[in-house]
Amino acid sequence: MGEFKVHRVRFFNYVPSGIRCVAYNNQSNRLAVSRTDGTVEVYNLSANYFQEKFFPGHESRATEALCWAEGQRLFSAGLNGEIMEYDLQALNIKYAVDAFGGPIWSMAASPSGSQLLVGCEDGSVKLFQITPDKIQFERNFDRQKSRILSLSWHPSGTHIAAGSIDYISVFDVKSGSAIHKMIVDRQHMGVSKRKCIVWGVAFLSDGTVISVDSAGKVQFWDSATGTLVKSHLIANADVQSIAVAEQEDSFVVGTAEGTVFHFQLVPVTSNSSEKQWVRTKPFQHHTHDVRTVAHSPTALISGGTDTHLVIRPLMEKVEVKNYDAALRKITFPHRRLISCSKKRQLLLFQFAHHLELWRLGSTVATGTVEAMCLLAVSSDGNWLAASGTSAGVHVYNVKQLKLHCTVPAYNFPVTAMAIAPNTNNLVIAHSDQQVFEYSIPDKQYTDWSRTVQKQGFHHLWLQRDTPITHISFHPKRPMHILLHDAYMFCIIDKSLPLPNDKTLLYNPFPPTNESDVIRRRTAHAFKISKIYKPLLFMDLLDERTLVAVERPLDDIIAQLPPPIKKKKFGT
Amino acid sequence: MVEEENIRVVRCGGSELNFRRAVFSADSKYIFCVSGDFVKVYSTVTEECVHILHGHRNLVTGIQLNPNNHLQLYSCSLDGTIKLWDYIDGILIKTFTVGCKLHALFTVAQAEDSVFAIVNKEKPDIFQLVSVKLPKSSSQEVEAKELSFVLDYINQSPKCIAFGNEGVYVAAVREFYLSVYFFKKKTTSRFTLSSSRNKKHAKNNFTCVACHPTEDCIASGHMDGKIRLWRNFYDDKKYTYTCLHWHHDMVMDLAFSVTGTSLLSGGRESVLVEWRDATEKNKEFLPRLGATIEHISVSPAGDLFCTSHSDNKIIIIHRNLEASAVIQGLVKDRSIFTGLMIDPRTKALVLNGKPGHLQFYSLQSDKQLYNLDIIQQEYINDYGLIQIELTKAAFGCFGNWLATVEQRQEKETELELQMKLWMYNKKTQGFILNTKINMPHEDCITALCFCNAEKSEQPTLVTASKDGYFKVWILTDDSDIYKKAVGWTCDFVGSYHKYQATNCCFSEDGSLLAVSFEEIVTIWDSITWELKCTFCQRAGKIRHLCFGRLTCSKYLLGATENGILCCWNLLSCALEWNAKLNVRVMEPDPNSENIAAISQSSVGSDLFVFKPSEPRPLYIQKGISREEVQWGVFVPRDVPESFTSEAYQWLNRSQFYFLTKSQSLLTFSTKSPEEKLTPTSKQLLAEESLPTTPFYFILGKHRQLQDEKLNETLENELVQLPLTENIPAVSELLHTPAHVLPSAAFLCSMFVNSLLLSTETKSAKEIPEDVDMEEEKESEDSDEENDFIEKVQDTNNTGLGEDIIHQLSKSEEKELRKFRKIDYSWIAAL
Repeated sequence: MGEFKVHRVRFFNYVPSGIRCVAYNNQSNRLAVSRTDGTVEVYNLSANYFQEKFFPGHESRATEALCWAEGQRLFSAGLNGEIMEYDLQALNIKYAVDAFGGPIWSMAASPSGSQLLVGCEDGSVKLFQITPDKIQFERNFDRQKSRILSLSWHPSGTHIAAGSIDYISVFDVKSGSAIHKMIVDRQHMGVSKRKCIVWGVAFLSDGTVISVDSAGKVQFWDSATGTLVKSHLIANADVQSIAVAEQEDSFVVGTAEGTVFHFQLVPVTSNSSEKQWVRTKPFQHHTHDVRTVAHSPTALISGGTDTHLVIRPLMEKVEVKNYDAALRKITFPHRRLISCSKKRQLLLFQFAHHLELWRLGSTVATGTVEAMCLLAVSSDGNWLAASGTSAGVHVYNVKQLKLHCTVPAYNFPVTAMAIAPNTNNLVIAHSDQQVFEYSIPDKQYTDWSRTVQKQGFHHLWLQRDTPITHISFHPKRPMHILLHDAYMFCIIDKSLPLPNDKTLLYNPFPPTNESDVIRRRTAHAFKISKIYKPLLFMDLLDERTLVAVERPLDDIIAQLPPPIKKKKFGT
Repeated sequence: MVEEENIRVVRCGGSELNFRRAVFSADSKYIFCVSGDFVKVYSTVTEECVHILHGHRNLVTGIQLNPNNHLQLYSCSLDGTIKLWDYIDGILIKTFTVGCKLHALFTVAQAEDSVFAIVNKEKPDIFQLVSVKLPKSSSQEVEAKELSFVLDYINQSPKCIAFGNEGVYVAAVREFYLSVYFFKKKTTSRFTLSSSRNKKHAKNNFTCVACHPTEDCIASGHMDGKIRLWRNFYDDKKYTYTCLHWHHDMVMDLAFSVTGTSLLSGGRESVLVEWRDATEKNKEFLPRLGATIEHISVSPAGDLFCTSHSDNKIIIIHRNLEASAVIQGLVKDRSIFTGLMIDPRTKALVLNGKPGHLQFYSLQSDKQLYNLDIIQQEYINDYGLIQIELTKAAFGCFGNWLATVEQRQEKETELELQMKLWMYNKKTQGFILNTKINMPHEDCITALCFCNAEKSEQPTLVTASKDGYFKVWILTDDSDIYKKAVGWTCDFVGSYHKYQATNCCFSEDGSLLAVSFEEIVTIWDSITWELKCTFCQRAGKIRHLCFGRLTCSKYLLGATENGILCCWNLLSCALEWNAKLNVRVMEPDPNSENIAAISQSSVGSDLFVFKPSEPRPLYIQKGISREEVQWGVFVPRDVPESFTSEAYQWLNRSQFYFLTKSQSLLTFSTKSPEEKLTPTSKQLLAEESLPTTPFYFILGKHRQLQDEKLNETLENELVQLPLTENIPAVSELLHTPAHVLPSAAFLCSMFVNSLLLSTETKSAKEIPEDVDMEEEKESEDSDEENDFIEKVQDTNNTGLGEDIIHQLSKSEEKELRKFRKIDYSWIAAL
C-alpha cells in the first residue's frame, strides 16, 4: 500500500465543553444534549447514535434546562432568564422569551406537552402555554423563598413537585398553591452542612416523590401526607440528577463522584404484590460530576463535566444481544473540525468561537475550498454534492446551476462524502458504517459499490463506534479511497478482493516480514491503521505525505477542573 | 481397677470446633458445634461445655435444630447416619441410617418429615443435594433410604447452599454461577458471572451464599471480597443485583439477621461487618477478632451472633456487636516450632498458639487456659509477609522462668533474633517480661535448656546456636541500689572447633552439660565450665540428645541423622550400646527412667519405649500414625494408673502425647473414648438445674411448704440416710492426719456404723439410738435441701466426705415413711 511521511499533529487544543442537560424524546428516539457553552446537539439514537443536528451556542446563554414538548419541539432555558425554542429544520433559534423571574434553573413540560413550567431564581414557578408558533405566559404559582432548582409533573398533570434549597414543595396545578412542604435533612454523614440543595425531583404516578440532594441522599416521599418514606444514602458528595423510566419501574441518578446508580422496583417476594425500590448497579463511566441523566426504554444516558456522553444499554431490556447493545461513549463531535489546504500545507482548526490557521510547510499556492461536512465539490469544479439533514444526497451541476441527479435515499444520515478527482465518483459514508460509491456521470452506483453491497461489509467494520468523518483520494492511485473515523484510518483498495467474515479485518500495518505469497493471499481491500487515536482528521498533503491530527484524551482531562477526590483502597 | 485392654492411639486435644457453622438453641442458651466425631454443647453464658454428644463413628459434618421440636438436634456424619438428640439431657433419641456419606445437613420448617443433605454418589467429587425422608417410627434405629434428588453438581461446602423464603427455593453456588431451584415450580434458574481471565473478573468466584429470611433476596460472597445481593431472580432476564464491597479478600461467610434487616459478613480481615438495610454506606464493624472468620451464625432468638475462627475459636457476639464469650479450643492454625512442653505449674500443654503467642492448653478439660503474648506486636494478616516467628521456648526452675526465642529472617544475611526471659509473678498469676536480649547469637538458636536441678542455687540457661557457640546465661542482680531487680546476663561462651552447636542438655542433677556440635557430643562441667570429655561416633549429625534419669543417670543418649541411636556411659566414657533407629522424637519421662523414641519409616511411625540401661525396648507399638510425628511429650498423671502388665507399666505415672505433621494431638489410652467421657458428662448432668420459669415458682412454693412440714416433724432429729458405699469413708478416715482427727470414741461409732450400713439401703431401723448432739447442729444446715428423693442420692455422694451421720428415732422413722409413700414422681416427670 505504500509508505507515507506523516505529520503527526497534536497541537489542536480542542476541549469539548461539559454536558449540562440531556433530554430524550421517545417519539423520535432522539436525544438533545446541551453543553455548558450553550451548544445544543441532537443525536439520532436509531441511526447508530449519530449527531445529526448542531446549534452553536454562546457563553452568555448557557442552558440550565432542556426539554422536548408537544412532540418534536425543543425548548431550552438558561441563566439569562430566557426560554428559547429551536427550529429543528432551519437549525436556528426560533425565538427567545424572557420569563421575568431572573435566571431560570429548571424547566419541565407537562405530560400532555401543551404546557411548560419554569423555576426561577426568585422562587417563582411560572406556567406557560405552548401555542403552535410561540409560548404564552399563563400564570405564576405560589412564590417560594429561594430558587427552584428542579421541577417534576405528576403524570396526570394535576400536581407538580418543585425542589428548592432545604425543602421540596408540592403544588396543585389547578389552584397554583403549595399543598405540602417537605423539609430535607441537612445532615451529611453526621455533620450538619449549611444547606441541602434538592438537585432533582421526580413525581411518580402513585404519588411518590423521589428527591436527590447535595447531602448524597436519594429520598422517597409520600406526597399525600408529605412524609419521608425511605432514604438511601448513596454518595459522599452531591447527587445531582435523576431520571425515571416511562414505566416507572426503574430510575437512574448521577452523583458528583462520577457514579451513576440504577434503582429498580422489584417485588419483595415472588408471591406478593408488594414492591420495593432497590439500588442495584452502580456504573462508573465518568470521572467528574454527572450533571444530567436520561432514561430511554433500553438505555441509561448520562453526561457531565468530563464532556463524555455515555449511553449504557440495559441488558435485560435488550432483545437481541448485538453490537448495538454495547456501551457507547461519545466524546468528539461527529463533524470535521479541521480542514486542510493541500497545496499551501495549511491546517484550519475550528473552535467553538474562533478559528486557528496553522502552517505546516513552506510551499506557496492558493488554498482549496472544502465544504463543511455535508457539502462536496469535485476537483474539476463541475459538480457539487449536498446532503441535508434528511439523508438524501443531491448532486448539482455547478456550471449549469441545476440539479443533476439525486442519489437514491438511504435510511441513515450521511456522515462524510467526497467526489473522486478523475472519475467524478461520489463516495458517501453513512452513520451505519455503510460506504457507497456513486458515479455522477452515469447517475448510478458503480460496479464496485454493487459488489460491496452484495457481499456486505465485514462484521467488525459494521461494529465500529464512531462515524467516518472524512474521505479523500490519492491523486496518483485512482483505485484507493482514504477514509477515517476517530479510532482508525483506512485505505480501501478497490482492486483487491473484499474481506469476508472469516478473514482478519485488522491486519498488521505495515505488513510484517511474511513471505509475499502469504501476504498476497491474505491481502484484501481494507488496509486499516489504528496507531493514531483519537484521530480527528487525516488527509494526504501530497503523494507521500499524510497529515494526522490527534487529540489525546489525557490532554483534555488535564484541562478540566479536578474531580472530587475519592479514597482508593490500597493507596 | 482398669481392665487391661490393648493400648490404642486415641485422638485428644479437641478436633476443630470451626469445621461447620455453630448452631444456637432456640433460647440462645446453648451453642452446638461439631468437633470431630462428637457434637459439643456449650453454654453461651459460661463458655463451659455442657454435653458432648457422642455416637457417630466418623466425622460429624452437619448439625441443625429440629424445626418441629426445638429441644432436639439433628446431626449427620460421614458414617452415613442422621441422629436425633435431646441436647438438654445429652441423650440419643433416634438414628436414621441413610447409607451413603453425608457431607452437610439442612432442615426446613415447611418440609415436615424430611431433611436435606449433601451426598456424593458415583464420582468422588460430584456432590448432590438430596432430600431425605425420615420415616416415622418408634424404634431407635430407622432406615431412611428414601432419597429424592434436588440439585446436582454442587459445592461440597454447606456454605454454598442456602434455603430461602420459608423453603420456597434453594440457592446453590459453585465457581462462577448461582443456581436457584424453586420447589413448587420445579425449575432451576442459573446466573453466571463473567469468568474471563482478565484482571477485573478473575476473582469473581462465588464463595458462600445466604438467603434473606422474609424477602426474596439472595446474598452471595465472592473471592474478590464483593457481596452481591440478588433480587428478581425468578426471571432469567430481569434479575438484578447490588454490590457491596468492603472486604479486600475473599468473603468467607455471610448471614442475615433473623429479621433480615442486617447482613453479616466476615473474612480474612478478622473483622465482622454488619451491613444495615443492605446499603453500602450504613455498616458497622467489630474489628480485631484475632483470626480469619470462617463461619457466621445467628441465633434464632436474634440476640446473639457467633463467629467461628480459623484458630479453633468461637466468639459469641451480642446483637450490639460486643463480644460476650469466647470458646477456644487448641489452636492448630500454624506450624509448631516450640514443640510440646508442660507448664510445671498448671500441668497445661504449652505450644505455639496464635501468631506470636504461646498457648496454655488444658488436656483434661480440652480448653485453652490462656494465651501469652510473646512477640507483642500487631499481627499483619497478609499473604507473603515474613512474620516474626516464635521458634523456641523452655520452662525452667519449676515454672518460675520461661525463656522464648523469636526470629525473623527475610534474607540470608538479615537475621533478627530476640530472646526474652519471663518471670512468673504469683500476684498476677502470669508471666512478666524480665529480660530482653537482642541478638543473643549471630545465627539461629538451635536449642535452649534450663538447668532444672533441685539443688542449683542460681537459675542457669544454655542456648546453642548455629554460629558455633553455646552461651550460658545466669540470673544476676541488676544495677539497682536496692538489689531487688534481677536480670539475665551471659556468663560463659563455649565452642568446639567452630562446629555448629545443635543440641544442649543438662544432666538430671545439673552437674553436667552436654552440647552436641554436629557429629560430636561434648560434656562440660557446669560449675567450672570445663570441657570434660567428647564423644564422637561419626554416625551423622546429632539430632536429639538427652541424659538418662534416676537410676540411669549415668547414661547419655544421642540420636543421629543417619538413623543411629547411641547410648554412652558417662562413667566409663565409652559407648554402651547403639541401635539402628531413625529417631524423629526422643523424650525422657520425668517420673521414670523410661525414654520414648518415635521412629519414622516409609509406612508410618513406630514407638519404642526403653530404659537406657538396657538396649532391649520395654514396649514397641508399630504404626502409631501414618504420617510423620513431629513432637512428643510425657505428661505426668495426677492419679497414677496401675497397669500390672509389664508392657504397659511405662504408662503408669505419665501419659505420652504426640503431635503429627497434620497437627493432630494423639495419645495412648486403654479406655474407649466413651468410657473416658462418661464420668464427666454424668457429673455435668447432675449439675443441671431447672430453669426459673413462672411454673417453677409455683412448684417451688409447693415444695417449701412440704419442707416446712418435714422440718416440724423432724425438729431436732436427724435423718439417717442409707449408705451404699463405705470404702471411701474408711479411706478418708485412714488418710486424714492423726492430729486433726476427732476422738477415737466418736470415730469408733462412725466406723462401725459405716460398716453396718455398707450394703443395705433401707436399714435405718438397725441403727443404734444413741444420738450424737454435736452432729445435729451440722446436719441442720443440710436440712435446707428440698427434694427428698434427691437428697437420698446426694448424701450418698457428698455426705460421706463430711463424715456426717444421721440418725432417726422410731417415731420419726414412721413419719418419714409416710412421706416416702407420697408419690412425687410427677415432679420428675416435669
